[in-house]
Amino acid sequence: MSDQKNKVLSPIPGVFYRKPAPDKEVFIHEGAAVKAGDVIGLVEVMKNFYEIKAESDGVLESFLVNEEDILDAGQEIAVISAR
Amino acid sequence: MIKVIQPGLQTTVQDYGRIGYYEVGMPPSGAMDKYSFTAANVLVGNEENAAALEITYMGPVLEFQQDAVIALTGGEIPPKVNGELVPMWETLAVKAGDQLSFDFVKQGARVYLAVAGGIDVPLIMGSRSTYTLCGIGGLEGRPLQAGDELKIGSAAKQRVKIGTRIQEDLIPVFSKTNEIRVVVGLCSYRLTEESKERFFSLDWTVTAEANRVGYRFKGERLSFVEREQPFGAGSNPSNVVDLGYPIGSIQVPDGVEPIALLNDAVTGGGYATICTIISADLNKMAQVKTNEKVRFVAVDIETALQARKEYAYKLAQIKQQLQLL
Amino acid sequence: MTRYEYGGDEFIFVELSESMSLEVNFQAMAITKQLREERLPGILDICPSNASYMVRFQPEEIHPDKLISKLKELEQSVSVDDFDISSRIVDVPILFDDPWTNEALMRFRDRHQDPSSTDLEYAARVNGFDSKEELIQAITDYPYLVSMIGFVPGLPWCYQMVPREQQIEVPKYVRPRTYTPERAFGFGGAFAVIYPVQGAGGYQLFGVAAAPIYQKEQRLYDFKDSMTFPRQGDIFRYRSITMEEFQAIEKQVEDGTFRYLTREITFKPRQVLENPKAFSDEVLGGLYA
Repeated sequence: MSDQKNKVLSPIPGVFYRKPAPDKEVFIHEGAAVKAGDVIGLVEVMKNFYEIKAESDGVLESFLVNEEDILDAGQEIAVISAR
Repeated sequence: MIKVIQPGLQTTVQDYGRIGYYEVGMPPSGAMDKYSFTAANVLVGNEENAAALEITYMGPVLEFQQDAVIALTGGEIPPKVNGELVPMWETLAVKAGDQLSFDFVKQGARVYLAVAGGIDVPLIMGSRSTYTLCGIGGLEGRPLQAGDELKIGSAAKQRVKIGTRIQEDLIPVFSKTNEIRVVVGLCSYRLTEESKERFFSLDWTVTAEANRVGYRFKGERLSFVEREQPFGAGSNPSNVVDLGYPIGSIQVPDGVEPIALLNDAVTGGGYATICTIISADLNKMAQVKTNEKVRFVAVDIETALQARKEYAYKLAQIKQQLQLL
Repeated sequence: MTRYEYGGDEFIFVELSESMSLEVNFQAMAITKQLREERLPGILDICPSNASYMVRFQPEEIHPDKLISKLKELEQSVSVDDFDISSRIVDVPILFDDPWTNEALMRFRDRHQDPSSTDLEYAARVNGFDSKEELIQAITDYPYLVSMIGFVPGLPWCYQMVPREQQIEVPKYVRPRTYTPERAFGFGGAFAVIYPVQGAGGYQLFGVAAAPIYQKEQRLYDFKDSMTFPRQGDIFRYRSITMEEFQAIEKQVEDGTFRYLTREITFKPRQVLENPKAFSDEVLGGLYA
């Protein structure tokens, strides 16, 4: 078992959301398994919603930002540990 | 042809803008950062007004289907040809089959991609600029989509040697904290003295609502002078009898959040405007992105005109430098 | 007291009055018409507005202070009394209280002064009418001067040609809507508008225009010279129509045969100011003759 950790970055600045809509469940909970390509959150800017996707398989260990935080471009969003 | 593999977040065709139709409610559109836009066209030997691509926050993936001469200017979204980083602010050659892509944005917000010959889209009311609200100009009046093909025009007026570079001191540096100069006036009498003072002493944060239409800022609530509203204005103290909005003017609907109106903005409406960004600093404003800070600085009209002259002088220097090479 | 203000280094904004009136709009129209005829160098746009106007210029060609002096001269020399307006009187069919606009405005009740009623019911009440039908009657009885164009391409601000005490006035939404249907007929402050394209908006919504006022494809006859139909100085008569007529007009728009009913007209501001009712009767008589 490797303990390699991959950080997920936001390519754009904007408002971060963990849910697809205010009345929906979060895309993924901390501690849940994740596959490369899974959507883990959204960043809204200029009235566009950009999907943030996991780039590796593993466990979504933790989110480093909160719901509705405003992010900088390149900011770290979450940590995924490889299994 | 240039084939769009991925469109990026918002990539549009823009030229200098649609000038002379403000009175019918048509905003100018056009490149937001005209300094970088013009430099890109000069670097590929185009007419200054040739249509280029304006790339915002996140770059597209483009495939050239013919050999071309290109230049990339503006904010720093590091460009790569076939995966290899290439310099910005420099005349580059690409070959048929080459792929242009971008890294994450490092500084600034918008990159201009000029192609020798210009992007060939129809002229609408004298301009090739995209105005998405009404769906006119550019490519079908909208941002680029995957699968689009852009024609390259034949409007290059001169050849520029590959590797020609804008000299370092003429390349703007962008920051996360910015001073934007404004001329106070218009309906500034509507704000209380205290709010006017606060407007100029706060660091305003650019919200996620910051696009070609306008930038909205977060800071604190501002107040308007109490009065009986004039006839026809509407009941909110920030309302005035609907009037024209200068490009770059700033309003504060209901005192909640200031909005700077930019290239694709509404041309008039019923909110008190309090100041106008000077033309030389509109280019700088265009390179500020969401979550960065802006401090507004009041200047007089002579300072604004001087800044305009300095801006024109910098552009003249670019042109002069390239002709000397 | 007229205010001359810099709008940065490319605009001059001139506020002739803080409040709206037909007189002040005619004055803005007269000054900007004269300014246009003088063909000064470096003028890019001349935008007459409701109680103000705005000029966009190139400071390399004309210094803003020189332009302001020129505009002050015009304020002194131009009189609405020796000024003719050549424009059109236009029949503009509106379907009031229509299902599409109603559906839209019900989605934004949380942004409205009175979430429990519709925009028409609210506006009727605050203007002292007993019913929305009475309000519609008042809106359609007298024609409007197109006093300004802007916001988005072709949107006409329309000011009714009636004495001040007869003017309808309504507040704008508490917070603007993020959606307004294309061709929605709205009212805000003392102005009636038609939204040319779908988009945000803060005016009270009363109905929908049957025909477009903006057409980018320029297929209809009325758009052969311009994507935008309304012109400042036009006189619009909003006419209440039935769903049946609405659908018939929509069909004509679709097959390209629709034309606005219009008459060319030349008039003096004084005629309107002195007896708006007589003026209105005369132009409407001419339009529907």
